[in-house]
Amino acid sequence: MKKGVGTRVGKIVVAVLLAVGCLVFLLPFYTSLAMSLKTPEELATTAAWSWPRNSTFNNYREVLTNPNVNFLRLFWNTVVIASLATAGVILSSSLVAYAFAKMRFLGRDRLFVVLLSTMMLPAIVTMIPTYYLFKELRWINTILPLTVPAFFGGGAFNIFLLRQFFMGIPKELDEAAKIEGAGHWTIYSRILMPLSGSALATVGIFCFIYNWRDFMGPLIYLNEPEKQTLELGLATYNSLRAEQWHLLMAGSVLVTLPLIVIFLFGQRYFVKGMALTGLK
Amino acid sequence: MRSTLKRLVTCACLLLAAVASRGTTTPIELRIVVWDGDESLRVLRRVANDFEQAHPGIKVKLENVDYRYFFQRLLSQVAGNTAPDIAMLDPQNMQMFAKRGALMPLNPLINQTDGFRLAEYYEPIVDVFRYQSDLYVLPRDIAPIGLIYYNKRMFTEAGLDQPDGNWTWDYEPRPELGSQCFTYCMQQLTRKGDSSRSTVWGFAPSWTGAFTDTVAFSSGARYVNDPQAFESLNFTDPRIIRAFDFVASLANEKKWMPSQTELSSVAQTTAVDLFISQRVAMYQCGIWDVPHIRQALKPGSDRFFEWDITLAPGHIDPTTGEVVREAPSGGSGYAILNSTPHPDAAWKLVQWMAGEPGMKAMAKAGIAQPAIKRLAQGPDWIPGESTSLEQRYPANRIATDQAVPFAVFPPTAEYWGEVSGLVFSKTEPIYLGTSTAEMALTEGNRIASTRLSKILEEERLPQFDWRWGGAVGFLLLFAAIAWVYYPERGKKRTQSERAETRASLWFLSPWIIGTLAFTVGPMIFSLLMSFTNWDIIQAAEWRSLGNYQEAFVQDSRFWNTVKVTAVYTIFSVPLGLIASLALALLLNVRVKGMPIYRTFFYLPVLASAVASSLIWRKVFQPEGGLLNVMLFGRDGQRDPFGLTGWLGLNGQLPNWLGDEKLALPSLIIMSLWAVGGGMVILLAGLQAIPDFYYEAATLDGAGLWQKFRVVTLPMVSPALFFTLITGVIGSLQVFTQAFVMTQGGPNDATRFYMLHLYENSFGNLRMGYASALGWLLFLVVFVITKIQWRLNKYVYYEGAA
Repeated sequence: MKKGVGTRVGKIVVAVLLAVGCLVFLLPFYTSLAMSLKTPEELATTAAWSWPRNSTFNNYREVLTNPNVNFLRLFWNTVVIASLATAGVILSSSLVAYAFAKMRFLGRDRLFVVLLSTMMLPAIVTMIPTYYLFKELRWINTILPLTVPAFFGGGAFNIFLLRQFFMGIPKELDEAAKIEGAGHWTIYSRILMPLSGSALATVGIFCFIYNWRDFMGPLIYLNEPEKQTLELGLATYNSLRAEQWHLLMAGSVLVTLPLIVIFLFGQRYFVKGMALTGLK
Repeated sequence: MRSTLKRLVTCACLLLAAVASRGTTTPIELRIVVWDGDESLRVLRRVANDFEQAHPGIKVKLENVDYRYFFQRLLSQVAGNTAPDIAMLDPQNMQMFAKRGALMPLNPLINQTDGFRLAEYYEPIVDVFRYQSDLYVLPRDIAPIGLIYYNKRMFTEAGLDQPDGNWTWDYEPRPELGSQCFTYCMQQLTRKGDSSRSTVWGFAPSWTGAFTDTVAFSSGARYVNDPQAFESLNFTDPRIIRAFDFVASLANEKKWMPSQTELSSVAQTTAVDLFISQRVAMYQCGIWDVPHIRQALKPGSDRFFEWDITLAPGHIDPTTGEVVREAPSGGSGYAILNSTPHPDAAWKLVQWMAGEPGMKAMAKAGIAQPAIKRLAQGPDWIPGESTSLEQRYPANRIATDQAVPFAVFPPTAEYWGEVSGLVFSKTEPIYLGTSTAEMALTEGNRIASTRLSKILEEERLPQFDWRWGGAVGFLLLFAAIAWVYYPERGKKRTQSERAETRASLWFLSPWIIGTLAFTVGPMIFSLLMSFTNWDIIQAAEWRSLGNYQEAFVQDSRFWNTVKVTAVYTIFSVPLGLIASLALALLLNVRVKGMPIYRTFFYLPVLASAVASSLIWRKVFQPEGGLLNVMLFGRDGQRDPFGLTGWLGLNGQLPNWLGDEKLALPSLIIMSLWAVGGGMVILLAGLQAIPDFYYEAATLDGAGLWQKFRVVTLPMVSPALFFTLITGVIGSLQVFTQAFVMTQGGPNDATRFYMLHLYENSFGNLRMGYASALGWLLFLVVFVITKIQWRLNKYVYYEGAA
């Protein structure tokens, strides 16, 4: 029994509400799936949400074997970029967030304003100077512009999010550790990090999805087709002049599937919060 | 032992040999970038492979970028000096690069090449790729839109002769001309049903604007006075006004043509699909729809019917009695970038791709009409006896060649996109029947002319000195550092505080380095840019506060974009916050299968943006769209809530995305669907609340609401605060929905601030102005965040330092 709603009736109400809500939220994914299983002919003649009369996996076969879009290669590239970036963000943003949440240092509050400000300028405006910088570093057409910045700070959004969570962790904990002579590094790595499973999982999943789905970054920085990511590959089926909906839908289901699996298994880490540690 | 040594030596020798041989025959690598979709890309790849075999020293790297992002990417690369060797270009975008010296003039290369005959190419497409007498793009295809696809059986059934291409259109049907009168055909071919679902229309344009162009051009009018460098706009020409009114009346009053909403509403969405399913008898498009129709109408299949193409109708000039036959056209070709280290190899490849090998392959696949006249009249393009049955449709392929003399290309002046955008944002209400053409075009012409005169009136500006800019940049950086640390001066600090500051450096240094290099540096750079006039390729000019003044005073769209974005934020952020909190509370209950539920609610965030926006368009369709089916029933007759009356639609079904008043609310509704992001954050916050807080509250006799108010809300307040702050920042920068779904329309009703900024940056190449818009947004977001920060004192931090 947990958090307020404890009665049997309450649980039934919740389950019904959830089931109804699910239908609405599932609709677009269901539609993609239905469309991806139709032949182009059926796609052109039936409503988008009708279930295919004769389901076919031809679209999937075609997407996976198209020589123009080497799906497995792009899949691997995307896995590498998204994993590296996520690792970088989790490492580096948690360090910075710890400092902002748990340390008193010179100019902290104003530095935090600077941190927040970096979210406020639209990226398109800084794109040219950033591009120029990466070009000078000879990073164009490599995965470095998409991964290295993650290790240097990890983005204001993630730092801010983790800082909010760290500030919610009772200070009695780190004070007790301090009295026993623990330094900040020990508090960070032995106390805060293990307690922040849910927050870290949230940041990690956000970051992974963001990089998996990112379009503008790979578009600008990766030239060669063999180096590109899934989202860029999908765009080949969404050409302004010749849309291939059957392939686009099959491709987008394939691109989304790994994210669904990751979320399905990753979300149990949200449950690992403070509740399990029995503090205080 | 000896054998190992021997092997090692052999290996070393082989390695050396390999290195040496690489050194001598390093192949030239050519990067060529195109915007073809999957199907044409397969053909191009084969052509490129053939080229590599014929030219052993050259390797070809083919890159594909969709048209929507093509120019943004190419511009960044030209600015960063990382451009490809060869790029595909079209008439509208050629001048942008040619004018700035990014392209290599082809005339010298042509003159050096024995046997190369430019005269073989269609003259109109060659002419359109010239800029100030130099040719910059070698055309690969020409695409007149002046073609009508028609259903032969429907003509016979309506008692009409098959069209022979000599027909003309008139404002009213002329039965005495029979099938020689396009308007009469349209009328005779229409079979009205009791609802639009059972109607067969006489005609559909592949997009309405293209048919209006055809009508306007063949009545002798042109939108501008000089396509290369126009100085005035003719949208108030009576012939143009009449063209718009005529096209609108065909759809709205005569109903011989699906209206703009119907065209997107019937489940098939596009004219070609209406044609395939025999819902329209004829439709106008370029030749590129042929592969799609062939695939859908295979001879022998039960959906097959006899079809063909013919020339779009002309118009009899009322004064001279002669037939004027003009229609819009497109085309594309390859240009060599000036920065290429291998101009000769690049020229060889261009000749190959935009020459016989490339064009023949494209023609055989039925993808594009060759730009070389001889090939467009030859057996690769025109079906003959030996052609397979499937490839024989359309039989009258020679029409594509006949259409070329009447091709009218869009103006090539680089400011056409910006200026025409101002007019065309006003013309949507004409097609929707909510405004007369005269009113809309007069207004559009006035606004666009004002902007045009601003563009033409060359500002005399001093050049911007980047050394000086660099110095100011460092000063700004220094000022920022001083702003952070100056207030701390002279404060007494204890030993432990100093130690803490030192220790914090270990934690902060990666962020400080990263932020300075990847964020603050570029930010300061863009701040300097905001005071310049800069196209990112040529030298920047100092414009002082001109950009900011332009935003507030001269930019006719600025305040509207501010209003649209503000309304969106005011509604979507609080609604989203409440929805995600409610959802998080529901998903925090222990019910069987909770992981599955959570995943389902998070799916919208995971799903591909492109796929979801297509599906949402289908949800919002007026007829057959899921939302309207749910509200008004399958036949659209039921209206239990009196919704149409309440919305002021007089019984018509709401056209969610197409209606000026409903488009923004629709996007707000859509934004709620992606509350999964906020839900996850709040859920993580809820999970962190220890159980015994609730237990203690229960012991104290607290009810559900009290537990929520006393325990849940304070404990989750840090996460809520975060969601609020980032939600506002994100929604003030909202862009993708409008970019993908509405392009800012109708009548600028969903033209968000960021969309305006984006169009100015890479669309109109006004990086300085776009930066100024970016910094104005920055200031507003900053102030709003500062105000929201006051809420911080109500946020309960259990472990604040």
